[in-house]
Amino acid sequence: MTENTTPSQIGSVLVVGAGVAGIQASLDMANAGYYVHLVDNSPSVGGLMAQLDKTFPTNDCAMCIISPFLVEVGRHLNINIIPNSEVESLEGNAGAFRATVRNDPRYIDMEKCTACGQCRQVCPVTAINEFDCGLDLRRATYIKYPQAVPLAYTIDRSICIGCGLCEKACLAEAITYSDSPRRTTLDVGAVVLAMGNEVFDPSGLTPYAYTRHPNIVTSLEFERILSASGPYKGHLMRPYDRETPSKIAWLQCVGSRDIKPSGHRYCSSVCCMYSIKQSIIAMEHAETPLETAIFYMDMRTYGKDFDKYQVRAGDEKGVRFVRARVHTIEPVENGDLKLRIVQESGNMTEEVFNMVVLACSLNPSSQAVLLANRLGIDLNAHSYAKTSDFNPVTTSRDGVYVCGSFQGPKDIPQSVMEASAAASGATQLLSAVRWSQTKIRDLPPETDFSGQDPRIGVFVCNCGINIGGVADVPAVREYARTLPHVVHVEDNLFTCSQDTQEKMKQVIVEHAINRVVVASCSPRTHEPLFQETIREAGLNKYLFEMANIRDQNTWVHMKTPEKATAKAKDLVRMAVAKAAYVEPLPQVILGVTHAVLVVGGGVAGMEAALGVARQGYQAFLVERSNRLGGVARQLQHTWQGQSVPAYLDQLIADVNNHDRIDVFLETDVVHVTGTIGNFVTTLRLQNHSEQPRIIEHGAAILATGGKEYQPTEYLHGKHPAILTHLEMDAALAGQTTEFRNAQVAVFIQCVGSRTPDRPYCSRVCCTHSLKTALHLRSLNAGMKIFILYRDIRSYGLREDMYHQAREAGIQFIRFDTDNPPELFLTPDPDAGFGKLNLRITDHILNRPIEMNPDLVILASAILPNENKKLFEAFKVPTNADGFLVEAHAKLRPVDFASEGLFLAGLAHSPKSIDESIAQARAAVSRTMAIVSREGILVGSVIASINPERCAVCLTCVRTCPYGIPRIDPEKGHAVIEAAECHGCGVCVSECPGKAITLKHFTDEQINAKTHALFCA
Amino acid sequence: MSEVYEPTLIAFCCKYCAYAAADLAGSMRLSYPSNVKITQVPCTGRVDIIHLLKAIENSADGVYVAGCMEGDCHFVSGNLKARKRVEYVKKTLTELGIEPERVEMFNLSSAMGPRFAEIAIDMTDRIKKLGPSPVKRGDT
Amino acid sequence: MIVADRKPLNEILDMVKRCNRILVVGCKGCVTVCNVGGLKEVQILATSLKIARKIGGFPLVVDEMVLERQCDTEYIAIIKETVTDYDAVVSMACGVGPQFLSEAYPEQKFYPAVNTTFFGGAVSHGIWEERCAGCGTCVIHYFDGLCPVARCSKSLLNGPCGGSDHGKCEISREVDCIWDKIVRKKVEQGRLDDLLDVVPAKNWQSARDGGPRRSRREELIQNG
Repeated sequence: MTENTTPSQIGSVLVVGAGVAGIQASLDMANAGYYVHLVDNSPSVGGLMAQLDKTFPTNDCAMCIISPFLVEVGRHLNINIIPNSEVESLEGNAGAFRATVRNDPRYIDMEKCTACGQCRQVCPVTAINEFDCGLDLRRATYIKYPQAVPLAYTIDRSICIGCGLCEKACLAEAITYSDSPRRTTLDVGAVVLAMGNEVFDPSGLTPYAYTRHPNIVTSLEFERILSASGPYKGHLMRPYDRETPSKIAWLQCVGSRDIKPSGHRYCSSVCCMYSIKQSIIAMEHAETPLETAIFYMDMRTYGKDFDKYQVRAGDEKGVRFVRARVHTIEPVENGDLKLRIVQESGNMTEEVFNMVVLACSLNPSSQAVLLANRLGIDLNAHSYAKTSDFNPVTTSRDGVYVCGSFQGPKDIPQSVMEASAAASGATQLLSAVRWSQTKIRDLPPETDFSGQDPRIGVFVCNCGINIGGVADVPAVREYARTLPHVVHVEDNLFTCSQDTQEKMKQVIVEHAINRVVVASCSPRTHEPLFQETIREAGLNKYLFEMANIRDQNTWVHMKTPEKATAKAKDLVRMAVAKAAYVEPLPQVILGVTHAVLVVGGGVAGMEAALGVARQGYQAFLVERSNRLGGVARQLQHTWQGQSVPAYLDQLIADVNNHDRIDVFLETDVVHVTGTIGNFVTTLRLQNHSEQPRIIEHGAAILATGGKEYQPTEYLHGKHPAILTHLEMDAALAGQTTEFRNAQVAVFIQCVGSRTPDRPYCSRVCCTHSLKTALHLRSLNAGMKIFILYRDIRSYGLREDMYHQAREAGIQFIRFDTDNPPELFLTPDPDAGFGKLNLRITDHILNRPIEMNPDLVILASAILPNENKKLFEAFKVPTNADGFLVEAHAKLRPVDFASEGLFLAGLAHSPKSIDESIAQARAAVSRTMAIVSREGILVGSVIASINPERCAVCLTCVRTCPYGIPRIDPEKGHAVIEAAECHGCGVCVSECPGKAITLKHFTDEQINAKTHALFCA
Repeated sequence: MSEVYEPTLIAFCCKYCAYAAADLAGSMRLSYPSNVKITQVPCTGRVDIIHLLKAIENSADGVYVAGCMEGDCHFVSGNLKARKRVEYVKKTLTELGIEPERVEMFNLSSAMGPRFAEIAIDMTDRIKKLGPSPVKRGDT
Repeated sequence: MIVADRKPLNEILDMVKRCNRILVVGCKGCVTVCNVGGLKEVQILATSLKIARKIGGFPLVVDEMVLERQCDTEYIAIIKETVTDYDAVVSMACGVGPQFLSEAYPEQKFYPAVNTTFFGGAVSHGIWEERCAGCGTCVIHYFDGLCPVARCSKSLLNGPCGGSDHGKCEISREVDCIWDKIVRKKVEQGRLDDLLDVVPAKNWQSARDGGPRRSRREELIQNG
């Protein structure tokens, strides 16, 4: 890729698909200087993740963790969400495309709709609720889910009878029956495809009887059953009779790893983990004891901390893992289901369950495939976007990038990483036109009210009839008038409507209002809107308080209007009481150093440095050894057969030749100070030949890599024919022919992985063995090749290689940890080093087998490089296995919890080279939101210290979950950097001297609400 | 008094989970007693012992803190600290001769609208059985 | 630092049972650091007392404040104007605080809200342990910085007693046998022979046994 400076480029980007990947890509680009059009064919964003109950391996609530992202994307000034729309065509070239988009009608004007839901209340038509997978009903006028963004209703005209009731009910006059499809054109410089996957429909698989029995559900249906906001409100029930099941079976690989045309040959990557998760969560939800069993072929828990999750599920939670294929499900009486099971031994058994979950595969939707065809994107044999290992998010069309599960079946963190990587591809292409299309809000200066008494304005919303139809709004309004400091009250039909907002601004100025209280819906959805309005009227946005009298009042107490009115008064009184104490919180702009420090000169580090430089910013690349390349120097081919040395030579040359990259070899990071936007790091040459070098940078990426475990098992080092993967790669790369003539080659998997000492899967070794085995087969068709394994984890499209290997006659023998293969060396006068003898129990015959291998390849574990001092200097944490710990396992896989620090590559967890490249490019994208800006805003809801009260007792230092507070020995008191504080308030509540306050949530403010409630 | 006593309860709810769950309960049109009034906090780790005691001093009949599920705190461990503070206040109330059950800690996720309603119902029931706060009785 | 524990509420309530109006005064020194008598604890105690008295139908007015230190007369002088507005003053400082207050304001009643326990430090957040007995003649140089006077239940100076059990003291599984630690440290450092020298009997006159103590520094004393 070359640096593009064509002046005709357009600084806008089109993102297609608004699932978690599309959202992440949009946010990254919008935060780094591009205007984003986010198109989705659904009425709201969120994709498949919004339908999930919990996420593995942390069991976080999916909605809890995604909703802040939904809100951010919905409110972003530089993201234009275009729902209900399809991209019809894409003309032009990289840098300047023109997309034609068909906007299907919603029949409700999004600008006017306040999501009050009155239209749904009156709609007489009942329809299948697709969001709940058909397990529940909805109206023809509906919203996909309560947290949906954009928060606006839709009319499903395919079933609407046109009765006009909603039009009459809608006081906002948002109903537009006459809507028709429109076409819009968008000029964009690049495109990111994130269409995601859909869940396989098992109807065609007759032995699984999915269509014949309601108690056989798909995995997505089961997610909805588990969901607290789902059709059964989180109560574990089976659809047939709403009874609580006491025994549930999960059937793995439904539609995956299936060679029949009805299914998919590939592995769907996520089903093993989601089934374990579902079985654990189901047990937690069940009110009576629940037995769970997972029927599987290979347990593919290959991701970070996944193996531990599986072990815990089995050992602690009692999930039964059965390695067997279920060939038929037969309904029996009472809604129960009989499974006919082929055991590994070949024996047939039967077992009855109350309910069966089909762990269905993922696949690109037919619309996504058609769209890719319209856009001229090459797809691979499995209909996923075709990419290469060295450019994992680049499609066949220049300027069009892909991320998430449209690139291949994958889990959320991998999708999020790729989303940022795709964003980095697009923004690199358009680096010359950064900030050219973005909007900025033009705001008046903030009025200074210091020294003035509070003058509070209270705006009570009727929300159509949502509030006013239940509570007595005029009474609430008049009550507000009697409260201390209140100088103005009014009620509005819709406080959030455009005209009321304009009026509110005038009223604020006219009455010299310096604190605003809105009594309406939830601050969760509307606080940012009102804050923006008062800011436009010259008020600091924190001079605001909300009373939630709809979502937490009139919607709850519809049947008791007097109580709703009384509670509304209480809530308004509480809000006014706090408002009297709120203070303006000015945010400070800190300048930013436009440079990134990258630590580690392997593939991930070099990709990161090169990415930063190609985005137009300075990169400092620090490597402790005397050359670049890292562990990739020992690799020959990627899993898809691309040459690593050729790629690596080019990458090193590009890094060395780029004038915005300074490379420091044999150099250590010795000291780090500063915060996001402005770090100062001291580098020292290992031979101390020069003075330490001080580097200033706005962000840092740690890519400190990993290495191959040197086995102590299986006679490694005692015989020249016993090699690790990397040793074998080196041998094959040399001109040696000695292995070509081997009669028997044996691979032993999980050497040093999945052990009590190292309880993780090294992820890449199964694929590596398959690749090497196929290579050996190509060298010598007569060689007997065995792979001795515990589970074959050729996840995703890598399953093709497993398939090829079996077709090529490579033999697979499974072993358990209590019965591992044994390797002996017997002295042999004919062979200098002695003869190798291997014993293993065949898992099918259940009989011992002996062989005399000429070649033994140990699939050795991946270890993180040790960097204790470095990690301490950056104050970044490692897990028990020594890998770096990211900010959030699911949605922030590239960030550290400390702002401004990012990670990539093997230091994070074992991964293949394409995954390392994606993560490195993702890290580049994450840094761009910092270093591409002139300044960053800090302040607002953060903890601040009153030095007078500080007793330097260390309580804050010890209790902050992020380790932010420190004692400044010069100043003699604790210090909390505004740019680093997360604003949780833990230290505030712990401080024995009450020296810390959390702004906007001070004791005074919190106690004022309490006092107002009880002492009216 | 022949009428059933209508207590007043205050709930300190984390904005990331319990507060959102309360909103969800509303969107699902679930009904729960109007006796409970919510104060939003950024994290239950911000809820201090003094906030709970002040509520009791101001004659609250019941007080509860509702944070994220254990292990899922948006701020790592604020909810665990909140639980310990609630335990402390329970002990203090015992010393003062007030039923410690008037103060409670709950954990729920933002998707658990029905659970929010259930907690509000259960707590209100519990407090109704206990009757007015002894602090309030002393007032009169 | 000086470590203390808050007294049970009932004890404090009993002290102030006849009062209508009191002042709770904390100290920003040791007791703030050991989370017993800083502003946070002052507020908690004040509120708890008010609650109790509201229940009793005999409301109590409680004012709250924290002094920089209660062991210096200048800081104590800050409450000079207001101290007589109260029926009593409850001090949350160590035992020094109420006494300095009492001496400064003979007309007022001062009550302690804490039990002063020992000289020690936080071994981890929320756990404090005794380290010094204030015996007046430090001997820890014999024991490489570990003090058997404070940390041996019997204050033995020449080796453990028969109650040393796998590193613990027989009085409680929670108490380490300091002699076990002293011996291990000597072994690690290869200086076990040091312990062959008998430590002479300790003169306890410098400790409390010699009566109340006083320290004079001539060069610091002002005006002769």
